[in-house]
Amino acid sequence: MSDLRDLVADLRERLATARTGGSESARAKHTGRGKLLVRERVDRLLDTGSPFLELSPLAATEMYGAPGETPVPSAGIVTGIGRIHGRECVVVANDATVKGGTYYPMTVKKHLRAQTIAAENHLPCVYLVDSGGAFLPMQDEVFPDREHFGRIFFNQANMSAAGIPQIASVMGSCTAGGAYVPAMSDETVIVKEQGTIFLGGPPLVKAATGEVVTAEELGGGDVHARTSGVVDHLADDDAHALAIVRSVIGTLPPARAHRTPAAEVEEPHEPPESLYDVVPTDTRTPYDVREVVRRIVDGSRFHEFKKLYGDTLVCGFARIWGHEVGIVANNGILFSESALKGAHFIELCNQRGIPLVFLQNISGFMVGREYENNGIARDGAKLVTAVACSVVPKFTVVIGGSYGAGNYGMCGRAYDPRFLWMWPNARISVMGGEQAAGVLSTVRRDGIEARGEEWSAEDEEQFKAPIREQYETQGSPYYATARLWDDGVIDPADTRRVLGMGLAATAYTPIPEPRYGIFRM
Amino acid sequence: MMETHMHTLLVANRGEIARRVLSTARRLGWRTVALHTDLDAGALHVTEADVAVRVGSYLDIDEVVAAARDSGAGYVHPGYGFLSERAPFARALAEAGITLVGPTAEVMDAMGRKDAARDIAVAAGVPVVPSYDLADDPSSFAYPVLVKAAAGGGGKGMRVVRSAGEYAEALGAAQREARSSFGDDTMLIEKYVESGRHVEVQVMGDTHGHVVHLFERDCSTQRRHQKVLEEAPAPTISEEQRAAITASAVALAAQVGYTGAGTVEFLLDNATGEFYFLEMNTRLQVEHPVTEEVVRVRGERVDLVALQLQVATGEPLGLAQDDVTLEGHAIEARVYAEDSFGGFLPQAGTASLVRWPAEDGPVTQPTGTRVRVDHALVSGQEVSTAYDPMLGKVVVWGADREAARTGLVAALDDTAVLGLTTNTGFLRALAAGEEFRDASIDTAWLDRHEVPAPDGDLARVFAAWTQVLLDTRPADARTQGGSAGPWHADGWRMGADPAPDTVTLGETLHVVDRHRGRVDEHEVRTVAVQDHTVHLIVDGRAEHAVLDVRSGDVEVAHRGQRWAWQRPDPFADHGPEAGDGSLVAPMPGTVLDVRVEQGQQVAEGDVLGVLEAMKMELALTAPFAGTVTTVDAVAGRQVPLGHVLFHVEPTGQEEQG
Repeated sequence: MSDLRDLVADLRERLATARTGGSESARAKHTGRGKLLVRERVDRLLDTGSPFLELSPLAATEMYGAPGETPVPSAGIVTGIGRIHGRECVVVANDATVKGGTYYPMTVKKHLRAQTIAAENHLPCVYLVDSGGAFLPMQDEVFPDREHFGRIFFNQANMSAAGIPQIASVMGSCTAGGAYVPAMSDETVIVKEQGTIFLGGPPLVKAATGEVVTAEELGGGDVHARTSGVVDHLADDDAHALAIVRSVIGTLPPARAHRTPAAEVEEPHEPPESLYDVVPTDTRTPYDVREVVRRIVDGSRFHEFKKLYGDTLVCGFARIWGHEVGIVANNGILFSESALKGAHFIELCNQRGIPLVFLQNISGFMVGREYENNGIARDGAKLVTAVACSVVPKFTVVIGGSYGAGNYGMCGRAYDPRFLWMWPNARISVMGGEQAAGVLSTVRRDGIEARGEEWSAEDEEQFKAPIREQYETQGSPYYATARLWDDGVIDPADTRRVLGMGLAATAYTPIPEPRYGIFRM
Repeated sequence: MMETHMHTLLVANRGEIARRVLSTARRLGWRTVALHTDLDAGALHVTEADVAVRVGSYLDIDEVVAAARDSGAGYVHPGYGFLSERAPFARALAEAGITLVGPTAEVMDAMGRKDAARDIAVAAGVPVVPSYDLADDPSSFAYPVLVKAAAGGGGKGMRVVRSAGEYAEALGAAQREARSSFGDDTMLIEKYVESGRHVEVQVMGDTHGHVVHLFERDCSTQRRHQKVLEEAPAPTISEEQRAAITASAVALAAQVGYTGAGTVEFLLDNATGEFYFLEMNTRLQVEHPVTEEVVRVRGERVDLVALQLQVATGEPLGLAQDDVTLEGHAIEARVYAEDSFGGFLPQAGTASLVRWPAEDGPVTQPTGTRVRVDHALVSGQEVSTAYDPMLGKVVVWGADREAARTGLVAALDDTAVLGLTTNTGFLRALAAGEEFRDASIDTAWLDRHEVPAPDGDLARVFAAWTQVLLDTRPADARTQGGSAGPWHADGWRMGADPAPDTVTLGETLHVVDRHRGRVDEHEVRTVAVQDHTVHLIVDGRAEHAVLDVRSGDVEVAHRGQRWAWQRPDPFADHGPEAGDGSLVAPMPGTVLDVRVEQGQQVAEGDVLGVLEAMKMELALTAPFAGTVTTVDAVAGRQVPLGHVLFHVEPTGQEEQG
């Protein structure tokens, strides 16, 4: 594929497929019970016309099945940010048509990621529960560890403590550990004759105590609304439950934005779709990243900082949907000067409380004797320190390559950007496939030749091919998004919109005083 | 006491007719006095008069006469209804030296009683309906016969009897109504014409012995003797019939020495072409505007109120019969506060939003039709059941009947009353129907036919589409970045088309896809949205409606019909509602009769009680056989709308339970 348009068409197709959810028969069974499909639930929960900033809809792509198959689309859970009563809320909704809504490792990771976003940005959480709990065959990957199932409830308790509302609506099964989602919530709704909450289901109860009991008697809506007190509201059906949740959100004290747009919103001078024409899909083809910046920022106006110095890193101030931002964008490989310039600029933004936007297209820091001897690692460390210690909200968009330490200096996933999105043309790996194959074959050749043996060029090529192939596969943005290395692959034309929504959603938290680690001088 | 001023007119009425009379009087330079009860203190007619006087009741002769005297009025215009045909009132005014704009008390006496009027008609050579004597044996009558109150009018105290078996009960009911409405239960019995047209002639007499007619009106579109659509000239009569009928009317008026404006009503028998004198109304008629619209005096439109005042001041009419000609056709539709598709029950409430097709005087449309609205209802006004439910009249003139009719349909499309239900949608459907188009509606048609209720489909499209437009309007102060924040409500979805919205109207969920311009299966495009009026292109057709979208509900007036839907309230009571066995007051009114006791067994259709509202008796009947478990009705007690009066448990309930 040579055109970004083709990549976007492919992305839309992948998204459309993922959004259909489970199999046709599973969906028919689900709707046959009078239940709404998970995305219908989300749509009905949100305000009329509310955008929905869905998170990682392509999670678990080509995982947990035969090669090329995606048996757990979207990881069986829909997460994202949408508006309820004009207020941004995080929604976490199980898709019961996908493996009964059970939690695969990526399901857990996606649920936790949504909670992290809620916690970092102080956004109320709404859980639409319809899940059989942990996916038992993979219990070792979902149950015991720090970032596993238990963390969900740890997060709920701590968010509630921090005053972040936790609201649950039980719209189907809510079994075993899952039972704690409604129980740990501030306010809970259940759909009668549909939602059930119990620690042990009827089969387990029978096995454990011999007691024979129906699911409804054990933990149905009437039981929990009238007898156990596990839920607070009894709903007639999905639509009613969602209306009650909306009403609950309506009773919350109003959220206070710490940052509001500094100016009237101005559209960029070029339409967003013109990005398709200025960005080459091959990450090796150089182009001026300012062409991207001017298609993202208000009025295409960019107050560039240190334009004449360290010009492989473009830094400057601009506005996105009226919000002041500092933009850090790659325009080539990182040199010492570019790293120093970036660190300086990031300090400026922290000093001024201006959120940072990283436009990542980086093959790495410059290598070679001259650069190492001049201490490029020292300057790279300054950039990494500045990024790591930033207190302003950070947003990262991988618009091309994301390789090696460049990923760190440009605020990769490990540097806690509030949101990280990838374009469909992006590539991500520790280094390029060719370089990795080269490095590994050099090491191997050294070993072979040290034993006095020979390694034919043909054998070497046979050795390198699978490495290249592995990097090709794993460097794909879909491989990345499947594993939650990002918050989603986006249409480049949506970049401005998602950044704007992200900026608005991060505005409810104050920015603390900046403080840095030691900058190696 | 003020000095009597000869050019002061007191209008002893309310509503649109008070405004109508005041308008002419003021135009002619008269000083005007309005009356009002406490309920009407803020009514339009009050603000439009020079002076307003409070009375306890518009029907209190002493009060009204005193008001005229105290305000220095030399003349009193009674309008229609109320005291307009009450001879004692005419006498009281005469004794006070005040001129009634209308005929003398003697004429009223003579014409007000149907039996006396009939004798005068016979004397004047005017044909009358064959009649029977109350003392005759009912089994000897040639049925059907009409039983009607001698003092009656407006359909009250009137019953059609088709067999001797029904006679006694019908007579009793008619007498009861007559007694409560007119204080006189004298009854007449006459031949009932199965298919007839109501044709009436407008006459005008001066105090100099000169009587002319201003042609006829056809008011055949009636429901239970209440006129619904009226037109002039009569569409089905020949020139010979017209000449005969108008000549009869003039002869009758001359016979009694009639002065002022009067209407001689005839029944035209469709079967024979014969016409019979029915009665004479000694006042200005509700439907007088259709005459004003089509009659030309020496080429000019005529103002009947102006002629009335001219006669009242003793001037000659100053016009010869030959001066009076006809031009074009006019149709009037009476807008009532009633739910025509819900048993024609009277409605009350606050008219939250009112749109008339001609607000300030007649409007001539590009097609050449002329729309005139006589009304007394503006937005925010309270409509009570205390007075006549007529809110206004939409009158359309066209070069011919079809032009007037299509113009009327368009004018009713532009008429909107929200807050309470009116018959506008019914009028619109009626005027648009082929029966009215073909002038084949006789006086009993509406009693035999049901006008199909309009389909609410398009109204739903309007409601759903507009609700989404309003809900997603970017004016929300909380929207970041004002009108164009990144969270603006465009239904954005990542890497997909915008999500459609859903709107619940009643029990139905509608899908509104702004991106594709669809509401369910309809294609929709917005043309204009302004001041509650929404113009859309729906499936390629231009449509418009008036809407009021509030947080809890949405109301639509489309093609005259009002539709209202509640927005779902998640915290509304989801328990069982007053079920089929509950009989609720369908309108605010007075309990007239309670016929059952608690515990009593009733059969389906048994009358449990009678509610009186708007001077109509409503029988509350058992919906099915069963036991009366609740009686919360006491004769004489006022009950609000929705009050549960009786509850019936179906038979067999206990066995099942």
